[in-house]
Amino acid sequence: MSTQLWLENITKEYGDGDTTVKVLKNVSLEVKAGEFVAVVGPSGAGKSTFLSIAGALLSPTRGKIVIGNQDISTLSDKELNAIRLQRIGFVFQSANLIPYLTVRDQLLLIAELAGNHNKEAEKRADELLLRLGLAHRADHYPESLSGGERQRVAIARAWMNNPEIILADEPTASLDSERGRDVVEMLADEVKLRQKAAVMVTHDKRMLDLVDRVVYIEDGMLSERPEQVPHPVH
Amino acid sequence: MFLALREMKHAKLRYGLIGLIMVLIAWLVLFVSGLAAGLASDNAASIKHMNATHLVLQEESDHRLTRSALELSALDEVQQAVGEAESAALGVRMSTLTKEGETKKTDATFFAVDVNGMLAPKIIEGSMITDVTETEVVADASLKEEGFRLGDTIHDQATDLTYTIVGFTEGQSFSHSPVVFMNLKAWEQAQPKHGGADVGPLVQAIAMNTDNDTAAKVSAELEGVEVITKADAMQGIPGYKEEQGSLLMMIVFLFVIAAFVLAVFFYVITIQKMNQFGVLKAIGAKTTYLARNLIGQVLILSLVSLFISIALTYGVAYMLPASMPFDLSPMLTLGCSALFLVVALLGSLLSLYRVAKIDAIEAIGRAA
Ligand SMILES: Nc1ncnc2c1ncn2[C@@H]1O[C@H](COP(=O)(O)OP(=O)(O)O)[C@@H](O)[C@H]1O
Ligand SMILES: [Mg+2]
Repeated sequence: MSTQLWLENITKEYGDGDTTVKVLKNVSLEVKAGEFVAVVGPSGAGKSTFLSIAGALLSPTRGKIVIGNQDISTLSDKELNAIRLQRIGFVFQSANLIPYLTVRDQLLLIAELAGNHNKEAEKRADELLLRLGLAHRADHYPESLSGGERQRVAIARAWMNNPEIILADEPTASLDSERGRDVVEMLADEVKLRQKAAVMVTHDKRMLDLVDRVVYIEDGMLSERPEQVPHPVH
Repeated sequence: MFLALREMKHAKLRYGLIGLIMVLIAWLVLFVSGLAAGLASDNAASIKHMNATHLVLQEESDHRLTRSALELSALDEVQQAVGEAESAALGVRMSTLTKEGETKKTDATFFAVDVNGMLAPKIIEGSMITDVTETEVVADASLKEEGFRLGDTIHDQATDLTYTIVGFTEGQSFSHSPVVFMNLKAWEQAQPKHGGADVGPLVQAIAMNTDNDTAAKVSAELEGVEVITKADAMQGIPGYKEEQGSLLMMIVFLFVIAAFVLAVFFYVITIQKMNQFGVLKAIGAKTTYLARNLIGQVLILSLVSLFISIALTYGVAYMLPASMPFDLSPMLTLGCSALFLVVALLGSLLSLYRVAKIDAIEAIGRAA
């Protein structure tokens, strides 16, 4: 199976000059097509930072990011924008829908941004909504949806541009465990069905049986098992 | 425009209210502009539409026609410089009239002109005065509203002389009073008799139709005169500068207010939507795309507001009484509207700057 996402020796420091905080220290991760990886770790460990770097939202201080077979570490902001639009799907912690767009328009916005808002895009949006059980909500605004429905819309939006990689930052944080599990199952199904690479940050240990692999981030280090995290010498 | 239109549709009340404020401001801008133009021509029509480019006044008269006094002999020298047909003497005197046999007083301004020269008024009713009569005048048609008719005899309070109206002209006013034309002969009769040598009648100005270079030459060659442009002469009409100045100040303030209202409105909305813009950028929206939508909203709001306020302005103007000095030409409307759009766009710059600065990373919930 081919590698879809490859992060190599990523280091991220926040701050300027003398007061830098090293949030990620030489972190590497490889995700193959069809693989669903969960990232767990204590709050403030750097999980969101890691995911943002994987999603081209944030550039690392050092290190290399390869999406498909393209090295994106050297691209300009504008080129990263296009990468995010065409190759990456995000699901944020709170669904982060646009309040004044109907459910259907949330999906069409992606097509609009990509400049291919046409009949085909509309068909695709309707199909996605049907698959995620949202067809009857197509003309509703986010304010009238439940938390679970909103998160499902966010997932549909992430799939709309048919990305190679799906990144989700605590997508179940605002849901009860049953709804949360539904949402993660949907992600897992899609990964298997379409051979996507997916990375999900989560707090919820009960979701870990749905993923292929779990990695742990603590103190800026990443490991495959929690007990293997070496404690850095201060 | 995908976002712009949907957002405005969803937040109808919010955008409707700001649109209403814009309508009111634009309406006021147009109305005051029309009023300023109307008052300007009501006040100074005779000078504004005068067939002349420059006026020769006595020096130190501070651009005021009514303060100037020139001997008629100055005309000969001006005529030599610019040509006989391109210059003419002008007498100006503000006075009060009564209709013979009545006591009601009316302000008016007497203009003395060569009836065959370039300043002769256009007759719309009755006949022109001859250059020999001493008792006939041509009056501005607005005097008809005061009850004056052809053949009526008017009494000039300042000189105690009487004249007969033989013709009417139109669009002739000076310092908001109608103008009554007489010939230079009648003018001479009305002058106070000087004790000493007879110097002939005094006039207030010599009007010229010429270019700036010749005007400067006349100014340099003639003793004791100053040469001003027609625009200067309008500014020198009693009350003109003050009237136009205060109206202009109102208009400028209204434009500034419009800019600030829009700037604050869009700034507040933009600040409220920071997280949303972060999400949009995170899912791949370019800054230019977001900027286009913001500008789109500003333009839609301004254009719709302008359209409504133009309709309102013309609607109200239609209902105004004819005597109300209101004159809103399509050019003036267009000019004000264009300026309004520019001002609105300027007002949105601050928000555009904020949108450009927003980072996609805002979208990710961070550990505090
Ligand atoms: N923009 C930033 N500037 C400075 N420090 C930051 C910034 N973003 C995150 N951090 C810090 O980096 C650390 C990791 O944050 P984050 O990746 O959000 O953690 P997690 O998602 O695992 O809870 C935290 O200590 C946080 O305070
Ligand atoms: Mg986080």
